[in-house]
Amino acid sequence: MSQHGSHRLVVDYGNDLRLFPSWLSRTAIAVLGVLWILLPMQIGDFQLSVLNRAGIFAIGALGLNLLTGYAGQVSLGHAFFMAVGAYSWAHFGGEQNLPLLVWLPAAGLIGGLVGALIGPFALRLRGNYLAIVSLGLVFIGIHIWNNFESVTGGFDGVGGSRAARIGPLDFTALTIGGTKYSIEQAYFWLIWVIVALAALATKNVVRSRPGRALQAIRDRDVAAAVIGVSLTRYKVSAFAVSSAMAAMCGALFGSYYGYISPDQWNLLLSIQFIAIIIVGGVGTVFGAIVGALFIAGAPLMIEQYSSSIPLVSYLTKQADMTVATLNQLLFGLVIILFLILEPRGLAGLWFRLKTYFKAWPFSY
Amino acid sequence: MKRTTSVVAVLLALALVGAACGRDKKAADAPGFDGKTIKLGVLEGVSGPIADPIGKPLSAGGDAYWARVNAAGGVAGKYKVELVKEDTAYNNEQTKAKYTKIKNDVVMFSQILGTPPTKTVLVDLKTDGIAASPASLDAAWVREPNLFPVGSTYQLQFINAASWLVNDEGFKTKPICQMAIESEYGNAGIEGLTTAAKELGFTVAATARFKGTADEEYTAQVAALQKAKCAAVFLTALPSNTGRIIGAAAQKGLTPRWIGQSPTWVSALAASPTLAPLLQKTFYWTSEGTTWGDTSVKGMKELIADVAKYAPTQKPDVYFVFGYSQAKGVHAVLEQAAKNNDFSRAGILKAISEVSVDYEGLLGKYTYGSAANRSPSRETVIFKVNPAVPGALEKVKAVTSDVASKLKIG
Amino acid sequence: MKLFAQLVVGGVAQGALYALVALGFVIIYKATDVINFAQGGLVLLGAYICFTFNGQWGWPFYPSVLAAMAVAALLGLAIERVILRRMIGQPNYAIIMITIGLSIAIDQIVIWKWTGSQRNFGDPWGLDTYKVGGVVIPVVNVVQIVAAGALLVGFFALFRYSRVGIAMRATASDQEAALAQGISVKRVFGLSWAIAAAIGALAGVLLVSGGRGLGPDLSFVALAAFPAIILGGLDSAGGAVVGGLVMGLVQSLTAGYNDKLPAVLGPNFNRVTPYVVLVAILMVRPYGLFGTREVTRV
Repeated sequence: MSQHGSHRLVVDYGNDLRLFPSWLSRTAIAVLGVLWILLPMQIGDFQLSVLNRAGIFAIGALGLNLLTGYAGQVSLGHAFFMAVGAYSWAHFGGEQNLPLLVWLPAAGLIGGLVGALIGPFALRLRGNYLAIVSLGLVFIGIHIWNNFESVTGGFDGVGGSRAARIGPLDFTALTIGGTKYSIEQAYFWLIWVIVALAALATKNVVRSRPGRALQAIRDRDVAAAVIGVSLTRYKVSAFAVSSAMAAMCGALFGSYYGYISPDQWNLLLSIQFIAIIIVGGVGTVFGAIVGALFIAGAPLMIEQYSSSIPLVSYLTKQADMTVATLNQLLFGLVIILFLILEPRGLAGLWFRLKTYFKAWPFSY
Repeated sequence: MKRTTSVVAVLLALALVGAACGRDKKAADAPGFDGKTIKLGVLEGVSGPIADPIGKPLSAGGDAYWARVNAAGGVAGKYKVELVKEDTAYNNEQTKAKYTKIKNDVVMFSQILGTPPTKTVLVDLKTDGIAASPASLDAAWVREPNLFPVGSTYQLQFINAASWLVNDEGFKTKPICQMAIESEYGNAGIEGLTTAAKELGFTVAATARFKGTADEEYTAQVAALQKAKCAAVFLTALPSNTGRIIGAAAQKGLTPRWIGQSPTWVSALAASPTLAPLLQKTFYWTSEGTTWGDTSVKGMKELIADVAKYAPTQKPDVYFVFGYSQAKGVHAVLEQAAKNNDFSRAGILKAISEVSVDYEGLLGKYTYGSAANRSPSRETVIFKVNPAVPGALEKVKAVTSDVASKLKIG
Repeated sequence: MKLFAQLVVGGVAQGALYALVALGFVIIYKATDVINFAQGGLVLLGAYICFTFNGQWGWPFYPSVLAAMAVAALLGLAIERVILRRMIGQPNYAIIMITIGLSIAIDQIVIWKWTGSQRNFGDPWGLDTYKVGGVVIPVVNVVQIVAAGALLVGFFALFRYSRVGIAMRATASDQEAALAQGISVKRVFGLSWAIAAAIGALAGVLLVSGGRGLGPDLSFVALAAFPAIILGGLDSAGGAVVGGLVMGLVQSLTAGYNDKLPAVLGPNFNRVTPYVVLVAILMVRPYGLFGTREVTRV
């Protein structure tokens, strides 16, 4: 399943592996950097909140992508690890008010440990069995969160200090050079820099030895074992790393919303992540990010502009449907349509587009 | 390279969308008020798990009330009221997102449906200094200066009902039990009955919790209640659970008197051929106000007139009455703000601490004032099921027990 | 003792329904290798269609049930032909996600067409109970056990003795060989979805009858049946039945004797016992109790 075989001419191995091989990509990164700084000062809080939510989900999606897209293990248990991370935030950040550089890595560490503990047992199972056991993890998790009141606050849920402080910077009340910035603006800078770091880390894993080992396992695991790839080690590591990223995603989630309750770590949340990587493009780092933007953004955009999108307003009026029902329906249909028509997701669409233009005028 | 260029493209597109909606450099002095129209935020739940039983009729009640106010000229006879509605689907994340979306467009929020959504945005309400009226009866709202609570509390409902059972209905020696959903709402009900038990001198014979999902069988809960031989069970549940719970209990031979909090009722229950006879015999509903259509009560008379004019297809519905009453309360706040000529956020908070509201019999008397001094109505009205009356709920008795009157809240 | 008898009857009834739902899964899985996460949606649709016939159009109850099963079968066939047919050859997770997408879409369609309000179901037995030796047994439980049992027996007879059954078993065993023998594999695919949908419809009707009320959240019941399926083994029809009954009994007994369990497990531990049992069994037998060990060609 080689997705993004670059169609440029490479003459040595090192060049093939480079992250930013051409001047174009280097400029693009520079532009992105500038955009990251300027965007919060240009757009409103609501749009920023959409982007922030997308960013948080992107981090979790990158982790799931590693597990499902590269290692080929279907897991519906992402919500469980998110919860682990979120409750880590609730304890270290919310309750004890420690700075971000303490609770975020702590959440990742705890998530990774839990993943490493569960991994060896879960990964004995194959394909369908694993999917369903991971589903069980979500339900057992909800039961635990509901009952472990000292940490999770039981059904009441738990809130606390957002604790988004790095050194002297407090992201809940950011003031730089006399200008006061809103929470949404501050969190945008925080979240998206973390997304960039996570994407970089994942990309590095993927293009190096562990990444190749994972892809070998995904394609033919018995064959991989035959040539010397240690199945257990890599599968469990992928599970652990994926869980760690999900946990960090959950911790940021908790800090951003400031209040979490046991019922939100449910199956639908796990499904949203899988939808993200499918829509974005399984097995691509950039797909995880684009998918998150799409899944987080599209419903709110549809609601915002529902009266002006002709097909949507027609459907809701004729059919007596609320926009919310339509959104959910579209969610399900989009998953189906992408899988049938473009299994490589938005990333696949992009590559198709690029290949067409690269080969132009001979694109046929 | 391909990855990054495409990311650039995506972000540029987003920036274009964003640039179309610029950033307000300076917040208006009184956001949501432009001198002619007052905008109110409505974080309603018209889709999602409680949309059809509670969310939709509740919003409809508010709509009908504001339609009448506008027809009469608006607040203080000159300011029309416009509702900015957003659907939260009773979901915490959605509530926060919608809150962020409209917070700068409105003067205050005239409805936030549900306890968990309200708790979620309370943090932001305090940071932003905005006021909101929750459509939920949790006692925690009484002491929050940013909230304008309407109606009594879940705790008080059960305290009064327990007093009624023990003092008037001879339940002093009979086992009283409780069944509550696993949520803050359920915890509120438990708190109420526990307080009543302590003050009135009985012990709760059994307490069962449940999740309320579709696949739940209630075997464990019914078994626990049967073991305790409950003669009365106080029920804190959502409308979709009530029928199932009562039915499941009856099937196992348990038919105690059921006392349900206000959100346990939905009109479909009275229409069910299997459940209606049982409910008529055993189910009692705790709330406020009076039977639908009881025109001896001024507020109800006005409501019926408004329904005929502005919501003619509305069937009798208790949540419609609540939404209508809530709008009445918010109207009083706006009138007070108009008197002070101050619709800014601080002005609304001030108005809330100064206002006094006459709910005209639809709800009990709520003593407002500063958050530390507020006192919700201590009266609860007990209803029984009678399919012959409109809405199927008939007023039995209004109870203001000593325990409730003396209760210290918050 | 009385409590025990009640719990057992309730558990067997619940287990019979799990078995029905599980059987629907297994039929599809055996024939097409697809885990159908949309089975809950089929259960939901079946119940609502029956409600439309009986509650909204006024048809008598039993014909409504049969008609609902027939319509559900047609729907299952349509879904297979339109959606699943195109996914042949796609990787596993893709097909799982399609069925998940389908289940989400079905939930919304139901809310749209019938609104999210609770509906009253017009079954003839309602809240009636039998009294057997001092034990109160709800009529609905008896009906569930009898109906599910009859359907299961009928199905196994079909599977074992009829031509259609043999064709399905052949396809499940080896698709290529079956094709070589002249069996229309496409038809078997369609048929298995149709049968699974019909079974699901019956399960839905049985689930909501007896005063439980019909609501859009019914599809979650299918999730509760998953542990039963895995316990029995994904590709074993007999295993589905055993798994269903075991899970139903375990849940019922844990629920009834919850106070005897250690407090740290929390109240309502019965909600997660199926998953705990599942995890425990899978550690020992990774393919379920009766599932066949996967043999993969490298």
